[in-house]
Amino acid sequence: MSQEKQARFEEIVERLVELKDTSELMIDLAYSSLLSNSRELAEEVQRLEERVDKLHTSFELLVLQSEFDKEEAKGFLGLIRLGVATEKIADAAAQISEVVLRGIEPHPVLQLSIRAAEETVAYVPVAKGSPLVDKTLTEARIPEETGMWILAIRRGNKSIRPKPDSKIEVGDVLIASGYAEGVESLKRLSKR
Amino acid sequence: MPALEKVRYKPVPVRDLFLEMKNLSELMIDLAYSAALFNDRELAEDILELENRVDTLDYLLEMTIMIAARDAHDAEALAGVSAVASAADKISDAAADIAAIVTQNIGVHPIVSQVFEKVEERLMQAKVSADSSLAGQRVGELDLAARMGVDIIALRRDKDWIINPAKTEHIRSGDVLIVRGVHSGIKEFKELAEQKHQRRGD
Repeated sequence: MSQEKQARFEEIVERLVELKDTSELMIDLAYSSLLSNSRELAEEVQRLEERVDKLHTSFELLVLQSEFDKEEAKGFLGLIRLGVATEKIADAAAQISEVVLRGIEPHPVLQLSIRAAEETVAYVPVAKGSPLVDKTLTEARIPEETGMWILAIRRGNKSIRPKPDSKIEVGDVLIASGYAEGVESLKRLSKR
Repeated sequence: MPALEKVRYKPVPVRDLFLEMKNLSELMIDLAYSAALFNDRELAEDILELENRVDTLDYLLEMTIMIAARDAHDAEALAGVSAVASAADKISDAAADIAAIVTQNIGVHPIVSQVFEKVEERLMQAKVSADSSLAGQRVGELDLAARMGVDIIALRRDKDWIINPAKTEHIRSGDVLIVRGVHSGIKEFKELAEQKHQRRGD
């Protein structure tokens, strides 16, 4: 396989991974928006849904533009179908968040099923000089220190699904869930 | 095409129905990506069966909330439950679509699987080696979630997949496990299963 082709493949897979990660992040966030009846979180899901739509189109174009041999057509069809599935998952997440946006108080049955706890969702900006800056999530030990779980990191207009090696930057907004007491410790950690 | 069963109303709490739908649909997504990337036909077929199960649960849930609604206020609140349940159903449909890539012999380009395996940090397949310390232990005894932040979501023994194995299930050498969780835990678990080097007693 030519180097050019290999590079193109890697680009296609990179986009697919982003689609997959974003759609799964959306499900997490959508259920969390129900759990905490959070409009803000539900709106985040809607923003991500628009992003997935754009990503999905550019992914499909990229796949269609790649020069593949006749025998490879099936493998490429498989790729396109994977992309369609991620889009469907993103739609489903958006549907969940719409319950919150329509002002329907989430039924206790849903909240009990999602997590039987009094949890809140907090948006915490990371200030310059915070000990979190330039640390990976593993190094930052946020769950251990604060009891808060990072759902997503908002950086500019992107939402990043947290991975152990994701680096925290100044200006990031940490979207985290946990008990109310944890919110204060997370805020302290993000300031200084 | 599998025969569709007639769904008869059974009194099951909405919470139980919804919880099973939510858990199954999320499990199915992870299983479906595994099936597509490892081109595993049996696993893909099992996912299609799970999809039927979720459909049935959705019917039961709709019936239950129809009975539960007594007035306009109930109806408003329960319409939200119905919308969320149908979203979980949609998620399981998407997983079935991914599984169908395998069952319809379309497949995903092999190069993609190779690259994907490198970047996918949440899912892994490992075969339990003969001298792995996992062999002979029960799933529950391993306490994987607390120890390394991972979870065994399916286990293949000979030809059969055991989806979401019970805590009492014994792991045997030769089993193929699908594990999901945090990247570091997954790597640690793979080493443990394949026993690349001895790491007992740590």
